Amino acid sequence: MTYLNIFPKFPVSILSVAVLLMACTPEKSAEEKPAETLEPFPSTYQAIPSESFIIEHATVLTGTGKQLEDASVLVEKGKIKVVGQNVFVATDITRYDGNGKWVTPGIIDVHSHLGVYPSPGIESSADGNEMTAPVTAQVWAEHSVWTQDPGMQLALAGGVTTFQVLPGSGNLIGGRGVTLKNVFARSVQGMKFPDAPYSLKMACGENPKRFYGSKGRSPSTRMGNVAGYRAAWIKAQAYREKWDKYYESIGSKKEKDKPKRDLNLETLSEVLRGNILVHNHCYRAEEMLVMIDIAKEFGYKISAFHHAVEAYKVADVLAKENICAAVWADWWGFKHEAFDQVKENAAMVENAKACSIIHSDSAIGIQHLNQEASKAMAAGNKNGLALQPKDAIKWITANPAKAMGIEDKTGTLEESKMADIVIWSHNPFSIYAKAEKVFIDGALMYDRDDRTKQPVSDFDLGITDPEGERL
Amino acid sequence: MKAGKKLAAKILRTGLFSSAIILTTFASNAEDYLIKNATVHSATEKGVLAKTDIYVSDGFIMEVGNNLSVKLKHTIIDATGKHITPGLINAATQMGLVEIGAASSTVDYSTKNENQGASFTIAPAINFRSTLIPQNRINGLTRAIVRPAGGTSIFQGQGAAIALLSNENGLLSSLNAQYASYGIAGANISGGSRASAYAVLDKALEEANYLRHNRSRYLPGFDWNFSQSVEDLDALKAVIEKKIPLVISVHRRDDILKMIALAKKHNVRLVLAGASEAWTVADEIARANIPVIMDPILNLPGSFESLANRLDAAAILNAAGVKLVFTGVNWRSTHNGYLVRQSAGNAVSYGMPAEEAIKAMTINTAEVFGVENYGQIAVGMEADIVVWDGDPLELSTSADVVLIKGIKQPMVSRATRLRDRYWDLKDIQKKAFTR
Repeated sequence: MTYLNIFPKFPVSILSVAVLLMACTPEKSAEEKPAETLEPFPSTYQAIPSESFIIEHATVLTGTGKQLEDASVLVEKGKIKVVGQNVFVATDITRYDGNGKWVTPGIIDVHSHLGVYPSPGIESSADGNEMTAPVTAQVWAEHSVWTQDPGMQLALAGGVTTFQVLPGSGNLIGGRGVTLKNVFARSVQGMKFPDAPYSLKMACGENPKRFYGSKGRSPSTRMGNVAGYRAAWIKAQAYREKWDKYYESIGSKKEKDKPKRDLNLETLSEVLRGNILVHNHCYRAEEMLVMIDIAKEFGYKISAFHHAVEAYKVADVLAKENICAAVWADWWGFKHEAFDQVKENAAMVENAKACSIIHSDSAIGIQHLNQEASKAMAAGNKNGLALQPKDAIKWITANPAKAMGIEDKTGTLEESKMADIVIWSHNPFSIYAKAEKVFIDGALMYDRDDRTKQPVSDFDLGITDPEGERL
Repeated sequence: MKAGKKLAAKILRTGLFSSAIILTTFASNAEDYLIKNATVHSATEKGVLAKTDIYVSDGFIMEVGNNLSVKLKHTIIDATGKHITPGLINAATQMGLVEIGAASSTVDYSTKNENQGASFTIAPAINFRSTLIPQNRINGLTRAIVRPAGGTSIFQGQGAAIALLSNENGLLSSLNAQYASYGIAGANISGGSRASAYAVLDKALEEANYLRHNRSRYLPGFDWNFSQSVEDLDALKAVIEKKIPLVISVHRRDDILKMIALAKKHNVRLVLAGASEAWTVADEIARANIPVIMDPILNLPGSFESLANRLDAAAILNAAGVKLVFTGVNWRSTHNGYLVRQSAGNAVSYGMPAEEAIKAMTINTAEVFGVENYGQIAVGMEADIVVWDGDPLELSTSADVVLIKGIKQPMVSRATRLRDRYWDLKDIQKKAFTR
């Protein structure tokens, strides 16, 4: 496959500017296009071919705020065709009896380090934090992903169909994150969610200042952190302008010399162009509000604050600014910036009509995002709210999809979306609920009742017993 | 005094109490409660008791039965439609030894003092005014085993048992177990090999036993040619005499078998902690009558010594007859120590009987660590009681009432006060004056 075929699949890149401008010039062959306009690591993900099927008589949480009883989900060609009650299909297709079962969109984790901090946790594969400079926008998490992390299959058994792998939080700007489909592949490109935007990991607070401060360099304080972000964005603005002027000059009499590429600034300028989404690790209320001002100063948008332990203090601002708060249900106290956690955090964010997300940041937690959402919902309800499963399911499906810029493709059970679907044994907010069947793009990727339909990583093979199974 | 007489009468009748307990009871300021009409998870051989009443007086459970009517003055707690368990206990925490994990000035669970290995005793460092205690308490955790961790010796030292009271009455016992590491952690601290770790443990236990019989030869000032300090070997005496268990953190199957053999050789009471691959040798562990401390939610092959971790490990071990003691959840067993309930729930979801899982966070823990008169809803037990608004293992369930030693606890923590301050976001400037 040449990149000519691939090129149109990537509207979200520096191309959006370049293509527009080039449209005015005579057709050029791809070889003549500037190097920075290419997607160097294109997704090669291909949905596993699947047959049509229908899940019938299930309780369906659509992810759009509805709970349907005795409902059906019809899937054709890997896409959701119909969701609703009284769906009759005469043809002879596979039928799954959903009686007593619950059906949800595939679970999405907006904050994972699967593959970059894989299991087993040994120094030789801890590849999530490039802590050699406080701004490393040039690194891409996908280049650290070990596709054979056995945590991925465990997450699948927890219903996770899509996850965003982020660099760690040791740096002010840690690099690009990547959104992956939870499928077996030999390459990370084979897992890359088609047409998902890249993300930029930024980090507030204790982690960057502790690490660099301990090395006797900036940042050693929170004010040093802020100076560091702003200095980076000033450089990115200048870089963007330089390239924009170059693009404008192409074909004209005053065609400028092609600027020198800088991978760090290339990523940052793509954020300024709106093509890369900012995911900002930020615990404390005042730091979130400072980051919002920085985003305004430089004209970019923050997609989500992660680990937003104090989101409940600024939930109204997050609602107004349309920024998601990605939170744990109840983790607290491991750092000072995590000291003000309340169990009602996610519920209070939801109640303020802001976008609430439960994330994992953990290879254990990602297997139980339904449980985490359940605890967060229960805490809100115990204090007087009336949240329902149809609301809280969004925290682990539609809302992370929105924050990751893939809400038009997955995250809800709606017609024409990817058939990323979980059939649960019980109400997914029960401790007794297990994901029984997990579909990705309509293909049955995990079946709890059929060992032949439970994927295992390369790592698992023969690791505890040459002839046996790890699990 | 009237209540005291009444209790004395009960003691005579039931014959359950030791004199030491009577002393602590008379010092309590507990009210009397009649809890009505609950589904009681008793953590006894009686299992679940339907529509049951519990009478609590002077901090103790005095009666458990149907339609109790007690004439004495008491407060009624209507628990119709609700569930009751003993207050839960987490078997491996640093409760009171850490306020903020990454703030070293608030952390007391390990020492770099090389003279303190087995003799490092953490009880004096426990801060009963810690914010962690109310936050865990209002979520149904009423007791905790507090253990040392880290340090420079293969022995981490001696742990304590506490009740989650915000005062010094919370200290229950200050020397209830000795802790050691084997496997990767033990190897790292012993020079880099399990073989070194094994030798260090073996020698220390041998020396401790020798010293126990020859202590008078080693007066202060004499040459001390032992591998451990005098204080450390003296501290191991309680292990050698089987007064307290030796809790060894160990994961790999063959490492577990080595530790079982080591414990047999030195005739000590071994408790396995972590024990990721214990299920693969469940029968051997059951046969040796060795309890296992575990967090049943852990299923990652997180290291090369825990490759066989799995979610049904607790169910397998329980079925084999191993006494299980739960901690969790995950690495947050202190700040979120109450979430041992979630870990237990996962064990049940993956095949362990619910009532056995409840025992693994109540009576089993009490038995392993010698926490007396706690861990069951039964006459003679101290009244650590939680009234839950639903299935005690379910995620949507919360604690409605928490009694510790018969004292009803306020359902308030620093977190609930922050929540209440920010519940609405109007008039932010006035929040300064909300308390």
